Amino acid sequence: MNHPVWDLPLLGSGWIIGIISIIHVSIAHLVVGAGIWLAFLEDRAQRAGDRELQAWLRGRAKALLWLSAIFGAGTGVGIWVAIGLVNPTATQHLIRAFVMGWAIEWLLFAGEMATLIVLVRAYDRLRPRQRLILYGLYALCAWLSLVVISGIVAFMLSPGAGWTTTHAMGDGFFNATYLPSVLLRSFVSLALGGLWALAAGGVAPPALKPRILKPTALFTLAGVLLTVPAGWYYFQSFPPAARELVLGNLKGATGLAQGFRWALLGLGAYLLPALLVLWGVFRPATFRRPVALLGLLLACWGFGGFEWIREVARKPFVIRDVMYSNGIRVEQVAGYQKDGFLPQNAWARTFAASKGDTDLAKGEALLRSQCLACHTRDGYRSLKVLTASNTAEDNVLLIQGLRELDPALNPYLDRMPPFAGTEQEAEWVGKYLSSLNGK
Amino acid sequence: MTPLPIPAPDPLLLPMPPSALKALLLVTFTLHLLAVNLGVGGSLIAAVHALRGKPEDRDLVRRLAPMLPAAVTFAITLGIAPLLFVQLIYGPFFYTASVLMAVPWLALIFLLMAGYTLLYRFVGSAGSESLHAFSGIAGALLLLSVGLMLVNVTTLSLRPDLWAAQAAASPQGLRMNTADPTLWSRYLHMVVGFAAMAGLLLAGWGAWRDHAYARRAGLRWFIAATASQLVWGTWLLVQQPAPVLDLLLDGRSAASLTMWISTGMGALALFMAIPASQGGAPARAVWAPFWLGLGSTLGMILLRDQARDASLAAFGFHPGALPHKTDWLSLGVFALTFAGLAILLIVILRWAVQPVPAAGEEAP
Ligand code: HEC
Repeated sequence: MNHPVWDLPLLGSGWIIGIISIIHVSIAHLVVGAGIWLAFLEDRAQRAGDRELQAWLRGRAKALLWLSAIFGAGTGVGIWVAIGLVNPTATQHLIRAFVMGWAIEWLLFAGEMATLIVLVRAYDRLRPRQRLILYGLYALCAWLSLVVISGIVAFMLSPGAGWTTTHAMGDGFFNATYLPSVLLRSFVSLALGGLWALAAGGVAPPALKPRILKPTALFTLAGVLLTVPAGWYYFQSFPPAARELVLGNLKGATGLAQGFRWALLGLGAYLLPALLVLWGVFRPATFRRPVALLGLLLACWGFGGFEWIREVARKPFVIRDVMYSNGIRVEQVAGYQKDGFLPQNAWARTFAASKGDTDLAKGEALLRSQCLACHTRDGYRSLKVLTASNTAEDNVLLIQGLRELDPALNPYLDRMPPFAGTEQEAEWVGKYLSSLNGK
Repeated sequence: MTPLPIPAPDPLLLPMPPSALKALLLVTFTLHLLAVNLGVGGSLIAAVHALRGKPEDRDLVRRLAPMLPAAVTFAITLGIAPLLFVQLIYGPFFYTASVLMAVPWLALIFLLMAGYTLLYRFVGSAGSESLHAFSGIAGALLLLSVGLMLVNVTTLSLRPDLWAAQAAASPQGLRMNTADPTLWSRYLHMVVGFAAMAGLLLAGWGAWRDHAYARRAGLRWFIAATASQLVWGTWLLVQQPAPVLDLLLDGRSAASLTMWISTGMGALALFMAIPASQGGAPARAVWAPFWLGLGSTLGMILLRDQARDASLAAFGFHPGALPHKTDWLSLGVFALTFAGLAILLIVILRWAVQPVPAAGEEAP
């Protein structure tokens, strides 16, 4: 890490991103799907001359504005704040790599807010046709913002050899997992937005209920079912190393394998709403809101599982083959191993100096910079627990072994970055690790 | 002395000249600040008038309230862009400062969402009999605390000499930048400025819509807040680090001229606002202080930037020297999107102000 390290005990800073982003991506995808659903239903209502339904949809647009303006925007800024705290070095790299991408994303978000505010605030002044166009424009802006952000997120998993040499935005943006991920995310949006709409439809006046629930349930069903082939296509587009990381870690008792199993269960749970919504198709009158909320919860679990797999599949990188999770770029490793990390990293030096520059202080400084991105001392992926049975010598040998760049000699390279420091620095880290267990 | 721990900038080149990025930063920040003035300053004013609860105050709140949530939405939306440009230009300083006070900085988003929710509650009650003045006050205070977090990071990012001590004091990033003498004066100067500008905007609205009470109340807010800047503004000035203070007082540098001109405009606005706020004053008397006050704010935004660059120059950082390679392709895509959005905005805003259709016109 080029910057100071935010040392969050027990939980580990990565989980902060995890928690905020699960909430944010769920809301963000939901509002895209809900926008498309609103346009779809308004169109039907206008064709049928159904004033009552149009008035009900107006209320949904208001709720959507509230959700999107407060919580969508709030958690969106939240992710940005969180990634800047947890991995400032990577955040800076991503922002630089896609300056105009972020700027375009911002324009689209402004478009979303403007169309929705005009729709809600000036509803009575609008002609029916203008309303429909506004519903459509909102949906378009929201979906395009998904199209843009997907490029940046997919880039982190598969930046591609082209970008690594040119650093041109287009080369990074149109990467191997881009198109599949746009498709997948679009269908997930339909499912989440549809379930949100079903939850609202569940408490609509009885006379309206069938007119809302039938088309909405079919809309949702389409979203859930289309996600399946899109998910398959997406997984096939993974870089081979990422696919192996997932498939190779499904068994066993390690934390990673457990995580994968939870995520897979979630993918199964994602399909259950397909059954739940049939209720809305065949017996709309008896359909209740909790059914839809349960479906929404299951779908968010599944979607969260997918996002977790995507995040883990790029380990030990934050940008695959470009930058490791601890903010060290691949091309920097050789220099650090030769001339030392401490002499070249102002913040690690500052930390060691604040603790008296002892061997332990230097070891801790190095560990903060290079390990805390994925570990904590005694909480999540605890280093204390992972090294509990090691002797002091084991620990030194372990870290010195982590310096090895050949996968045949360093079995950890598929999940941990190489140690970017000298033999001497590795010894300091080993000593500090031993001190965690009082050895 | 050991060198200060200023991180190296990212190796990727900027996609346009730093001066262009700086211009974008200043333009979007100005728009952001105008929306904040209206949204946050307006919430404060509305909540205070709601507490007073006289009939004319209630009427004022009822008129003002519906504008607030949209103004806050725009404040957030328009705030994202300058945050992006700041990270591009001042990344090494910005990220370091935010990590060193990670917890309060992260708290910002929760304060924002909570404040915004309360504001919605307050606004929703404005049409009804029971006005939730308390939600309004609490909402406005929460939104103001968001500003406090922003000022904390901004001030800390200008003081690399304080970083090592801040990091050692709390590795978990729990501390705010209270070691910096400019923190509170800068914050108060800013908050009082919100109230002044919101008052001015209210007065302008009152003149435009022939609402005499709004006009006078707005001007009174402006007068009281601006007069008190004599204290906060001077306090902030004298606490500037020596190189910045020398620059501001030398009477020749661009920064110094900006400061004198914008304070002068503010003072003139204040003196013209006093007669304009009297009982018999015509509505058009609002406009001179209105434009002068706005000009003064724009000058202060410029001054803020000049003082920042002067502070960082003392640590050897010069934004103009950042390497770049213009990326015409992505700039082109951005320009096209921007043009599309502009057309969209023009069309839908025209729809938003057209007359309500007569009954019967609305054929299915
Ligand atoms: C990219 C994330 C990442 C980084 C950075 C990282 N690790 Fe790990 N580390 C892992 C993962 C994942 C595991 C496997 C944990 C499991 O299976 O439960 C692991 C396992 C370990 C283990 C247990 C090894 C074993 O044989 O079981 C040790 C010890 C360890 N890491 C130490 C370190 C040290 C020291 C550093 C810093 C030099 C570091 N790690 C940096 C991700 C990381």
